[in-house]
Amino acid sequence: MSDIHIDHKVLSDLQEVMEDGYLNLLDTFLDDSKKRLSQLHEAKSAAELGHAVHSFKGSSSNMGAVALAELCRQLEERVKQQPLYGIEDLINQIDCEYKVVRQLYGEERRRVSID
Amino acid sequence: MAVETVVSQDGKKLTIKVKGRFDFGKHQEFREAYERKASRPDYVVVDLKEATYLDSSALGMLLMLRDHVGGDDSEVRVVNTSSDVRKILAISNFDKLFDIS
Amino acid sequence: MPESPLTVLIAEDGAADRLLLARIVSRQGHAVLTAENGEQAVALFAERRPHLVLLDALMPVMDGFEAARRIKTLAGEALVPIIFLTSLSEEEALVRCLEAGGDDFLAKPYNAVILAAKIKAMDRLRRLQATVLEQRDQIARHHHHLLNEQRVAKAVFDKVAHAGCLSAANIRYLQSPYALFNGDLLLAAFAPSGDMHVLLGDFTGHGLPAAVGAMPMAEVFYGMTAKGYGLAQILREMNAKLKRILPVDMFCCAVLLSLSFQRQVVEVWNGGMPDGYLLPVEGGEPLALVSRHLPLGVLAPERFDDSTQVLPMALGQRLLLLSDGVVDTSDEHDQLFGVDRLLRVLADNRQPPLLFEEVLGALEAFRGRSRDDVSLLEIRMVDADELTPAPVMYSDSGQCAPPDWSLQFEFRAETLKRFNPLPYLLQLLQEIHGLRGQSGALHSVLNELYSNALEHGVLGLDSGLKQDVQGFAEYYRQRNERLQALSEGYIRIGLKIEPQGSGGRLTIEVQDSGKGFNASKVLARPLAEQGLCGRGLNLIRRLSRHAEWADDGRRACVEFAWQALA
Repeated sequence: MSDIHIDHKVLSDLQEVMEDGYLNLLDTFLDDSKKRLSQLHEAKSAAELGHAVHSFKGSSSNMGAVALAELCRQLEERVKQQPLYGIEDLINQIDCEYKVVRQLYGEERRRVSID
Repeated sequence: MAVETVVSQDGKKLTIKVKGRFDFGKHQEFREAYERKASRPDYVVVDLKEATYLDSSALGMLLMLRDHVGGDDSEVRVVNTSSDVRKILAISNFDKLFDIS
Repeated sequence: MPESPLTVLIAEDGAADRLLLARIVSRQGHAVLTAENGEQAVALFAERRPHLVLLDALMPVMDGFEAARRIKTLAGEALVPIIFLTSLSEEEALVRCLEAGGDDFLAKPYNAVILAAKIKAMDRLRRLQATVLEQRDQIARHHHHLLNEQRVAKAVFDKVAHAGCLSAANIRYLQSPYALFNGDLLLAAFAPSGDMHVLLGDFTGHGLPAAVGAMPMAEVFYGMTAKGYGLAQILREMNAKLKRILPVDMFCCAVLLSLSFQRQVVEVWNGGMPDGYLLPVEGGEPLALVSRHLPLGVLAPERFDDSTQVLPMALGQRLLLLSDGVVDTSDEHDQLFGVDRLLRVLADNRQPPLLFEEVLGALEAFRGRSRDDVSLLEIRMVDADELTPAPVMYSDSGQCAPPDWSLQFEFRAETLKRFNPLPYLLQLLQEIHGLRGQSGALHSVLNELYSNALEHGVLGLDSGLKQDVQGFAEYYRQRNERLQALSEGYIRIGLKIEPQGSGGRLTIEVQDSGKGFNASKVLARPLAEQGLCGRGLNLIRRLSRHAEWADDGRRACVEFAWQALA
């Protein structure tokens, strides 16, 4: 598992803090993130987009998804400046990164269930 | 220290110096000046050379001092008084109780 | 476990973040409430009143900043720390957070250790604020109690002092309503003879201690004045009482006056008060009434000096008494008003009735700020008929005494030196209800008879001396001297009560061992020439039903009569 996508130290700290709530946390994050992504795609204004990506940045950083958080940060910066260009590209990158992260969390989920 | 005490070699004379305003704020210090002494002095001198002001609570403190060292049998002198201080002592006729100079 | 578990409200719209934070905080031992947006957060705060709030800055429905403002308003005086949760850029975040009433902020990703430290620090502040508010409330309660105690003390005091005559036509005065708590005392009362006693006093200390000393003093003053006691006896009693009940360092500076309108003299005693002034009717130097005695409550009874100064006071002359608040009034440069300025105001006065205002006006003009411890009193010598003393109040049940008795006293040298028998005799006579209507006259007459018998009879003094101030001073000097040296002599007083018709008759006989005088000659002179002594004899004649002098003037016989009461 590559540390570029997920900081495993953060994950193990999370597991320690959440104890038996760890699985629930992972599920909640995945669920929440689906909503965030829809917000990103469906945003009708720069402000809406900015809010959505700001929140996504926050939750991904809490979960240790460092690359994802960084992409969100970049998008957040870009959204502040007019004219808005390169947005689509960044959103696509976020989509891709999230797919990877979702996969990795899935594996993590399975690992924990077995133990 | 706003209130200083000096005891003579033979322990018979106690001198209490009051500096600055001689008013209610000095109450505690003034009492301690004569209360804590082991033996009762034969006579007491209150030196007001550096006292700038005197009010009725100071008069009360002098009365307490006099009472402590023997009342009517005591000998308390109040020295180095400025003219303002002497005026206040004169109105109350405290020269009938204290030797004032 | 923390020292005391708190209830913490977490408002965060990201579900995963909310879950994580809730767990971090509850693991630290606190109870957790969660909200998804600002509106929920405010509602939850109002309902559950948590100790501390963690607020996400950007939330839907109502953002963190608005929620913070509302929560702070709901919290009122209490401190509810708000920690913002944010991943906004540093500077902007800090500014906005603080402006919205936030106390701190926590960045994402959440760090449990840092959060724990911040919660602890915020809790310390919260508890500090709570302590401050509690102590403030305690102080306010105590202050309230104190004001109430003072109000009660003043009410009691006013009952004691209400019998006074400060509202008499010949008195003008100024006194602050809170004078009592500055230790300032102003009392005035009529004696049964029509004389007026006045006291201006200044207790050491402030607040209740000063007020507490004033009450026994006022009781003595009013009680003894009403019974007809003279200044000397009243002073002795007040001094003894204060000496006994007050702590060593408390005393009362006082000036006491006794004005006789019939004899047009004033008797003065000043112990520790600033100079009073006796003002001439028209221009001229005021006479200063200087403090010659120690204040009341300092000397033991056997050392107390009750000697007074007696001065003639003509019709229209005024007395001015003041507390030290007058001379000590200072302006914004801390300069004192002083005696010189006061004397200048007195000297510049052209119309005596305006003097009181002129003194007040000069004080007002001089001082920058107001003082509440100035007491000022002006008393005018008037004709005795101009004043109407209040009727004497009797404390018995109203039963009649038997109207048929007589008694005789003989007071010899040693007693005459230190004892005035009149109050006791007058008490006896007050038992006779029929005489009560003439109480004032009775007092005046007995006073005159006794002082004539003592001063002219036994002591042999010449009333011709009493023409002016020096004469008065000399007269009273001689009086004291001869009284101290007295070794023989007597005054006999006889009182006889007999029924007469439906009422009764009182016969007073006063005999002295002196050389006597030619009473008819004195009475025959025109009134103006008679001087103060002759005026006394005429007064006795005028106030009684019958008066005659026998035995070469050594024996005076005076009658009073009354009808039965309806």
